[in-house]
Amino acid sequence: MKKTVPLVIGMLFGAFALAEFYIPHHQVGALSNEFRSWAAILASSAFIIGGINILQVTWPKIRRREPDWGYKVVLLAGAAVMLLAGLPWHKLGDAPTHPTVTFGPRLPAPAPGEPPAAPAVFVKVPADVTYQIGATVGAGTGRLEVVRVAPGEVTIKLSRRVPGYATLETKATLIERDTITVEGDPPMMWGRDGRVFVWIYEHVFGPANATLFALLAFFVASAAFRAFRARNTEAALLLGAAIFMMLGRAPLGGAISDVFPDFAQWLLDVPSNGGRRAIMMGAAIGAIATGLRVILGLERSHLGND
Amino acid sequence: MAREHWSERLQRFDRRWIFLVMAVAVVVPLYFPLGLPARPDPMTKAAYNAVEALPTCQLDPVTHRPVPGSPRCARVFISIDLDPASTPEVEPFYRAVVLHLKRKHAQLVIATTWYQAPPLVERYLRETLDVAIAPAGTDGYAGAPDRAYERNVDYVNLGFRDGKGAIIQQFGTDLRSAFDGRADDGTPLDRIPMMQGLNKLKDFDLIVLVSAGSPGAKEYVQFVGTREKLPMVAACTAVSTTDLAPYFQTGQLVGLVGGMAGSAGYENLVGKPGAGTAGADVLNIANLVVIAAIIFGNVVFFAGRAHRRRGGRS
Repeated sequence: MKKTVPLVIGMLFGAFALAEFYIPHHQVGALSNEFRSWAAILASSAFIIGGINILQVTWPKIRRREPDWGYKVVLLAGAAVMLLAGLPWHKLGDAPTHPTVTFGPRLPAPAPGEPPAAPAVFVKVPADVTYQIGATVGAGTGRLEVVRVAPGEVTIKLSRRVPGYATLETKATLIERDTITVEGDPPMMWGRDGRVFVWIYEHVFGPANATLFALLAFFVASAAFRAFRARNTEAALLLGAAIFMMLGRAPLGGAISDVFPDFAQWLLDVPSNGGRRAIMMGAAIGAIATGLRVILGLERSHLGND
Repeated sequence: MAREHWSERLQRFDRRWIFLVMAVAVVVPLYFPLGLPARPDPMTKAAYNAVEALPTCQLDPVTHRPVPGSPRCARVFISIDLDPASTPEVEPFYRAVVLHLKRKHAQLVIATTWYQAPPLVERYLRETLDVAIAPAGTDGYAGAPDRAYERNVDYVNLGFRDGKGAIIQQFGTDLRSAFDGRADDGTPLDRIPMMQGLNKLKDFDLIVLVSAGSPGAKEYVQFVGTREKLPMVAACTAVSTTDLAPYFQTGQLVGLVGGMAGSAGYENLVGKPGAGTAGADVLNIANLVVIAAIIFGNVVFFAGRAHRRRGGRS
C-alpha cells in the first residue's frame, strides 16, 4: 500500500502529462493547467521541506560537535537571519503609507490684469529622500522648498534613494493660489523588498556568490598549466580547438585575423553542435525510456527503499 | 647527486604565481582598456535582428501613449533567470537589449524562475526601466534616447514563481494563473491596460531569455518554445553556449548571445558600450594568460619527457 498508491498516482499523472501533448482539447488543457498549479505548489512546499531537512541533518552534527560543526552553525544562523529578514514585519505596525499634506493660507489675490498665482507646494523632507510633485522631481534638503504646480490633481510621491524603504504616495487637488505643505519620512520595510533583506543580498550573498564563480578563472589557469597536456592525438586536437575557441571568442582574435572568429564559429557550428546534438538525442531517448518505465510501473527506484 | 632538470623544477612551479598573473590580467585591462572592437558573431547578430524586426510604435511626446494610426507597440516577455555569479556575463546583454527595446517603445513583461533573482531583478528595473538608460546627450552614445518607463503602464513585473519546467509550461498556456492574476506589487493584471490580450507566451511578439542556467533557455525551448512556435532570443553564460547553440541552428532560438563576448557584441550593435565591452577587454588578456599557461605547461611536459627518454631522472 505504501508503495502502490504513489506508484498509481505516478502512473496516472505521467500518462496524462504524455497524453495531453496529443489531445488539443480545451478541457484537457484546463485540467493540465490545474495540475501544473499543483506542481508549482509542490515545488514551493519543497522549500519548507528543504529547510526542515537541513535542520534535521545539521543539528545533530552541531550537538555532537562533529568536524566543521562551526560551519553548520553559520549555515543555520544564515538561514534563520534571512528567514527573519524576509518576513514583512512592517505590516504588523501602522507605518505611514502616504505623506502628510496640510493646506496653508491661500496666496494673495493677483492685482487687476495679472494672471492668478499657480498653487505652491512647500516640501520638507530629509536629505536622502526624493520627492515627486506632479512632473517635478527633486532631492530633499531637510529645509522647506517650494514647487509651483498647475491647478488640478497633483500626484505627490516621496521615496528614499536607497532600496528597502516604502514609497509614500498621495494625490491632492489644488486650485489657483492654494498652498500646501508636504512632509514625510518613508519608513523602512521588512520582507523580500525590505532594507535588511536587500542589504544582506547585495552586500553578503551577491559578493560571496560572485566570488565563488570568479575563482574559476584562477583554477582554470592553474589547471591549464598542470593538466592540459597534448599526451596523444585526441588531447592535442582538444587543446588546439580550445586555443582557437579562446582566441576566436575574444575580440583579440578578430583583431589579429578574421580566421580566428570564423574558425571558432565553424568549430561551434559543425563539430560541437554535431556532437552535442547526438548527446541530446541519446539523453532524450533515455529520458523517454525512463519515463515510460515510470508510467508503466517498471521503474520504482524513485519511491525509495523503505 | 645529479642536478635536477629545469623541466622537473618547473613541474613543481608554485601555482600561486599563475594566480598572481591572472589577477593582474583581470585587473589591469579594467583600468587600461585595450578598446578592441567586439565583433558580434552571427548568433548575436541574429538576436539583434530579431529585436530590430519588432514593430516600432510612435508615441505622443507628452503623454507617451501611441499616436492614432501608428503601428501597435511590440509586446515582449523577458525572463530574467540568473544569480549574482552570472551577472558579469549576461547583465550587459540585459541592459543593452532593454535599451534596444525601449528605443522601439516596446511594452515589457518581466518574470523570473530563479529564487535567487528577485532582488537583482528589482535593482535592474530601478536602474534600467524606472529611469532612462541613455537620455539625450549621453557621452559616447549616438543612438536614439530612451525614456523612463512607468511601472504597470509601460512594463509589468510579474515576479518569481517556482516550479521549474512545470511553471514554464504554465507560462505557455496561462500566464495569468501562474501568477495568480497579479503583478509582483499586488496590482491585479486585469487593471493594467497593457496586459490586455496578454494571457500566454504565444501572445507576445518576442520572448527574451536572460538565462544563466537551469531552469532557463533550455527549458523554455523544450517545454513551450517548440510546442508553441515562439520567437525566442536567449543570452547565456559562455559555458552554456555549446548547450544552446544547436537550438539556434534548428531555429528554435532566433538569436543566441553567448557569454561576455556575445554581450559585448550586442552592446556594439546597440551602440552603447558598457560592462560587456569592458569585460571583453579582460577576456582578451585572461584568455591569453590561459593560452600561455597551456603552452608553457606543454613545453615543460615535452621537455621533461625528452629528458627522461635520454635517460634522465624520472
